[in-house]
Amino acid sequence: MEMDHDYLASVYIDDEMDLDEKRHFVEKVHTNAGFYAETLELLDQEKLLREMPELPAIAPVTVWQPSLRERLAGLLRPLGFATAGFAAAILVLFTLFQPPAPALCHNRFVLYQPTAARVELTGSFIDWQRVALKPIGSSGYWEVHLRVPAGEHRFAYILDGKRRVADPTIPTSEKDDFGGENSILQVTDLI
Amino acid sequence: MDDYSRFYSRYRGSVFAYLLRLTGDYQLAGDLTQESFTRCLSRYGRNGSNPSLLFTIARNAALDAARKRREEALSGNEKEADDANPERQLIQKQAVTRMLAAIGQLRLVDRELIALVASGSLSYREIGKLLKISEANVKVKVHRARLRLKAILNQGGQ
Repeated sequence: MEMDHDYLASVYIDDEMDLDEKRHFVEKVHTNAGFYAETLELLDQEKLLREMPELPAIAPVTVWQPSLRERLAGLLRPLGFATAGFAAAILVLFTLFQPPAPALCHNRFVLYQPTAARVELTGSFIDWQRVALKPIGSSGYWEVHLRVPAGEHRFAYILDGKRRVADPTIPTSEKDDFGGENSILQVTDLI
Repeated sequence: MDDYSRFYSRYRGSVFAYLLRLTGDYQLAGDLTQESFTRCLSRYGRNGSNPSLLFTIARNAALDAARKRREEALSGNEKEADDANPERQLIQKQAVTRMLAAIGQLRLVDRELIALVASGSLSYREIGKLLKISEANVKVKVHRARLRLKAILNQGGQ
């Protein structure tokens, strides 16, 4: 039985072959050099296609933090090279004898809520005070940038001053004592 | 970890990859990924853990965003956010950038098919349901889309 073999390479790539197609595929690879070359090319193309960058830091679980080197460089730059070594030594001593305070990490909180007129954030890291999020144009997104100490925190969004919702992009959440739900945010110091 | 958390961790990456190929915009794809999970959660609750449903929602979100962009462009509000977007610079790998540009040159229907199969999360049958075409048609169309993509990449490489 003659079949339309046009798509055989793709069905092969996508693991969608039935037995007949498998048989025809093997035969064709064996007898048709052009088909063999094209299938290899398509496989390479697919490998490249599936090589994609990681998901960007849209969810608040990901935290950006300048590297220690960058931070040291920033501190040392105004002092000039002559004093840099000395300053570094002082800094090392200083950090050795200070109890380590939790690092503050930049955190972008984003929420998609096109129907809300006002969105606020409240959380353990701001003593459950409320901070307003700003709308991003007319996109329906709201955002706020905050510095959050490394560690585990609880937070939630408040819509229009009353409705409390957890962050849908953070898988871990827990019920609070007032019938609402808090997201659990893990902030890690990435140095 | 509840079912929804597992669902989220499992499909977050592939939905993002799908949206990135479809839109060619790193930041937008990230935002739409969040929006898709939000919509899925608010409409179907924590039990609505169905990948076909999620990809349908993601697809609609992307189409909405594209429509909005066209309207903005028509009303003269043509702001090219691309250059000002620092996260875009994270896409350093030239090959990936070249691939995204090539996908961008495909017709929407081809781009969608390429993005859906490459996400590796849906079968031909599920893709057919999503795009409302037969499974046999998916076979043929996916392959043609791949060949067109190859032609574009070869052109660019010369």
